[in-house]
Amino acid sequence: MNWEEFMNLFASRWSRLLGTTMAGVGMLTATAVSASELTVWCWDPNFNIPAMTDAGARYTKDHPDTTFNVNNISQDDINQKLQTQLLAGVTDGLPDMVLIQDDNAQRFLQSFPGAFVPLSDSIDMTKFASYKVAAATYEGKSYSLPFDSGVGGLFYRSDYLEQAGYGADDLNDITWDQLIKIGTDVKEKTGHQLLSMDYNDDGMIIMMMQSTGQWYLKDGSEPNIVDNAALKASLEAFQKMAQAGLVKSITGWTDYTGSFTSGEVAAVPQGVWITGTIKSQPDQSGDWRVAPLPKLDGVDGATHYSNNGGSSWYVLASSEHTDEAVDFLKTVWAGDVDFYQGILVNQGAVGSLLAARDGDAYKASDDFFGGEPVWQNFSDWLSKVPSVNYGTFTPEARAAVQAQLPTIANGGNIDEALQAIDGQLRQQIQ
Amino acid sequence: MNFMIVRRAAVYLSLSIATFISIFPFYWMVVGATNESRDIVTGKSTIGTNLVANFQNLLAQVDLAQVFWNSAVVAIAATVLTLAVSSLAGYGFEIFRSRVRERIFQILLLLLSIPFAALMVPLFVMISRAHLSNTFTAVILPTVASIFIIFYFRQATKAFPGELRDAARVDGLKEWQIFLYVYLPSMRSTYAAATIIVFMTSWNNYLWPLIVLQTEDKKTITLVISSLTSAYTPDFGVILLSTVLATLPTLIIFFVLQRQFVQGMLGSVK
Repeated sequence: MNWEEFMNLFASRWSRLLGTTMAGVGMLTATAVSASELTVWCWDPNFNIPAMTDAGARYTKDHPDTTFNVNNISQDDINQKLQTQLLAGVTDGLPDMVLIQDDNAQRFLQSFPGAFVPLSDSIDMTKFASYKVAAATYEGKSYSLPFDSGVGGLFYRSDYLEQAGYGADDLNDITWDQLIKIGTDVKEKTGHQLLSMDYNDDGMIIMMMQSTGQWYLKDGSEPNIVDNAALKASLEAFQKMAQAGLVKSITGWTDYTGSFTSGEVAAVPQGVWITGTIKSQPDQSGDWRVAPLPKLDGVDGATHYSNNGGSSWYVLASSEHTDEAVDFLKTVWAGDVDFYQGILVNQGAVGSLLAARDGDAYKASDDFFGGEPVWQNFSDWLSKVPSVNYGTFTPEARAAVQAQLPTIANGGNIDEALQAIDGQLRQQIQ
Repeated sequence: MNFMIVRRAAVYLSLSIATFISIFPFYWMVVGATNESRDIVTGKSTIGTNLVANFQNLLAQVDLAQVFWNSAVVAIAATVLTLAVSSLAGYGFEIFRSRVRERIFQILLLLLSIPFAALMVPLFVMISRAHLSNTFTAVILPTVASIFIIFYFRQATKAFPGELRDAARVDGLKEWQIFLYVYLPSMRSTYAAATIIVFMTSWNNYLWPLIVLQTEDKKTITLVISSLTSAYTPDFGVILLSTVLATLPTLIIFFVLQRQFVQGMLGSVK
């Protein structure tokens, strides 16, 4: 008797015992769900939840039979629940759609083949930023409807830079080395450090690296550390900045946001989603600008375009309403440009649908950023972000890199650090 | 003399430090519940004026009555059932000894070392095949036969005088009557201590309810607090307020049963 049969036997006995009394409760909830209610799991009540709710409302208007039930479950909780239930092969508790962070997606796609509906079969994926589609592509099919982008930009205080004699043109098309030069001057003239960084977060390193099309992993599974020229150049640039005293070392997210909302540091190289936090200080309106990210020096394929973070929608194959779910994503998320204007204005969400930039909200200029058309710029950059394969071991790789960041900041040997990262990563993915 | 003073000072100093370390998180939690998220982030550690606003924000996001009801149903049912089943088992293991039972008990103790995460997937399969997914029964059932509580009652039973049982037997009581009328009343403090432990564990249980409860209307307080932390820019005032509220029931239970708890931990029999 194998495990499966054993479990069946045990469970059926048990259900006879308890099921008679308790199953009634379970059935009751099962039938209470209306035939066309789509359940969605996502996590931020200020961001993806209202965006999904709005999308749902738009669909329900034309399809009154389809309603939406958007649940607030934290990202860690979603991962835990999905993993356990897919592992158990039990799907009755799973939702119809779920939001998954891009660098975590391959893990699910590869560990649980068949668990998600291949959306590229019915939705034209060329409408979206290609690097977002690549993040959810496995064995030739793409499984996600790309949602928010983490396209990167260099947010900076134009007033500080002006005091040091730099204007907006001095930040266009520069390299990290040139930025270090500017940062040094700004620090001398104004006393403000260039940027802040939590040494437990390698967000800046991955943005530098992805801007060249490189990643911690080769083909998604093999460590790409020791011979990764882009990673080496990124760590070198970081070390130079730290050694020049341009990096304010902070701990935790609140410290991080505090370091620029308080006006302490002069620049924030970050994904577009930080815009809301930067704009949370109305008194700094007009002081901020956004430049493209600096380029890495001396690395093949170096660009000004990169990404940090972002997530996408997935349809679970176990859903009883996959057709409706796919049609909903196709109609609203892959077609409604007007919808994208709404979530940009209301939630500050920069979607990945390239056509969204033709809407009014994307064309508007923003006085907070000195009247620059920031959204047009970001959507320009969005389409040019190099694709990388996040693979299955990105969290392990990031942890290994983070472990070395303090040593590197203190002037440690980069080659040795790369060896140590490689060692830790290989040990973890054995 | 001088040495004594230094010694005393050292004792008081180390006790003060230890007290500070254990009290400060509570203080921070309570104070944070009265402040705005922005103030908490900047490290404000004095009572603020935002308590009512935090409460309104919490109510706007969460059906608090439903959530507390869910947690209470789970915790109370789990406590009553666990005490009933596990105290009987602990009593039985100690009083009716045999070689086979000793072996079983040893195996149970071994099982104690298996982390729950390892049992979770097969347990979930079982629960779901029994059509119990998304029910409170599924949350409660796996905790009822608690090895730790069985062990705890067995240890406590060692102090239960054999003379009492003999006397009860002479008086013509059946075994179940001895348990109910002689053992149970004399072990009140043990039951009180176990009540606190089981109630707290059940009230604070997170991983298993997370897996097995699926709909919003079934969520317990721990799951709700977890979902409150989900935002990219969390409202710490609301989170800390919900944490304060979630702590209250266990605090009340603890203070009500405090005296018995201490006695129970010392293993006394009245």
